Amino acid sequence: MPEYDSNDPYAVDLETRLIEIQAGMHARDIDVYLGSRIRTMSFILDAFVPWRSFIVIPAEGLPTVFTFVIDSARLLSETWLDEDHVRGYFGASGADQIEVIQYFIEEELGIKNGRLGYETGMATYTAEGWMTHYEFERYSAALPDFEFVNAHDIVDEVSLIKDEGTINRFREASRIVDEGHRAAREAIENGGWKGMTETELAGIAALAMRRAGSVSEWNFAGLNEISSGWRTGLGACTPPTTKKFAAGEALMFDLHAMFKLALGDHSHNYLLAPAKERQRWHADNFVACVQFVADSYRAGATPGDLITECGNFAEERGCSDFILPGVEHGIGLFGDEWRVGASMDVPIPYWTNPDHVYQENEMVILAMQYAAQEDDVGFRYENPIVIKKDGCELTSKYPLAIEEIE
Amino acid sequence: MANLVYLSPEWAEEGRRRTEAELTPEKLHNVSSSMTNIYKNCPDGKEHYFYVAFEDGKVAGFETGEGEGPKAEFKIIAEYETFAKISRAELGAVRALTSRKLTLRGNMAKALRLAPLVDKLNKVLATIPTDY
Repeated sequence: MPEYDSNDPYAVDLETRLIEIQAGMHARDIDVYLGSRIRTMSFILDAFVPWRSFIVIPAEGLPTVFTFVIDSARLLSETWLDEDHVRGYFGASGADQIEVIQYFIEEELGIKNGRLGYETGMATYTAEGWMTHYEFERYSAALPDFEFVNAHDIVDEVSLIKDEGTINRFREASRIVDEGHRAAREAIENGGWKGMTETELAGIAALAMRRAGSVSEWNFAGLNEISSGWRTGLGACTPPTTKKFAAGEALMFDLHAMFKLALGDHSHNYLLAPAKERQRWHADNFVACVQFVADSYRAGATPGDLITECGNFAEERGCSDFILPGVEHGIGLFGDEWRVGASMDVPIPYWTNPDHVYQENEMVILAMQYAAQEDDVGFRYENPIVIKKDGCELTSKYPLAIEEIE
Repeated sequence: MANLVYLSPEWAEEGRRRTEAELTPEKLHNVSSSMTNIYKNCPDGKEHYFYVAFEDGKVAGFETGEGEGPKAEFKIIAEYETFAKISRAELGAVRALTSRKLTLRGNMAKALRLAPLVDKLNKVLATIPTDY
């Protein structure tokens, strides 16, 4: 195991992570864990694993990862595991992802039967990495003496509270995103926006963030999310299009960066001049609501509390019709970008539990969506926050405001 | 030189001699690894093996025999006829792998990196006058 370097601000305690996962396996009588989600790879390997991969974790001892063979050498160079524990699969007899893992579990680990933890469920984005139905059928046939148990919540639980090194990585990822926002603003100011497309602006921001240290715009949502005009009225950015910016419309820039697997994710909004009075009214409402929610986060609060309080606040301002339900989404290392909390005992499985109680050093994305479709205007705010005892820390320091750009 | 019987002790001895003579540690990138080929359905009806090992690019083991053979970093299992075709250069090793004629056990990522070295070894062994 790599030694924890307390002098490294980005150091994470990988040994403790593994010990806690294996403790969770023991508690559920799981003999071997077969992880397939990106977030599981990120959390254990501390390396970028974009290709379809599987990680085999025995009840004791080191895990072994199996990735598409073309990327195995690169992964080996970045993860802490040695060559014996970073393996490849490819389309050959005994070498495909089913046979190679079946053989590894039964012959190399010597586990011939028992309970096998695996990861299945659902999410809003495609790249989660759940075991597919076909994979499940093949693994079940290849390992007939194992009872397959859905156990992803072991990893979810262990990864819920962020350690200092992980939080520092998020701080740096947010600093990088702020650099992207500065570049984006410079690109559109003083008429720079004229003739510019959403996709072009996304690229300008991406380049600035790469230069500042980002390694990816993490493509779950289509890289940087940019929208303008009527699409802002839907309250979400979604992937940029080739639409050109136009005078008098709103802009949403939702920029993504990645630093040591921590995800930068900050949305900022503008109005292109000339802004109508109604647009300004919406903009002021949005800023006030975001500030209200940011001021409301603290350990002990719940998502249900925040939604209710934010709804009441918006009602007082007369803008509650435009606030879409929900004020956040989950966030973690690469691949962990949706659900708040870790419990499976929730009203709607795989969605945020309104009664989840925030804890110190938990992180979420403060995310608000304001949609005034009839006015073709809307806004989106996102910022990774660290829950504190009596408040929260906004990791992106980009000023909360909606400026009018000439 | 008279033909040698494939996988016989004489064939193994000649294989070791040619390998040591033609594959220097530099040519083998000072590799340390081992491989056991397991031959199913041999002409005598038995299972045979061919084991070869290298330490820092030098031959550290080279033997044939009956049964499964010594434990090695990589184990390759196939019909006798498949191995014979590979040795006679009638079938490529990768083609054999991807068409399920040959089963590989071991660290696949490392195996792929070592594949060119195995090709070098096979080319040397293919020069032995052999009766299959």
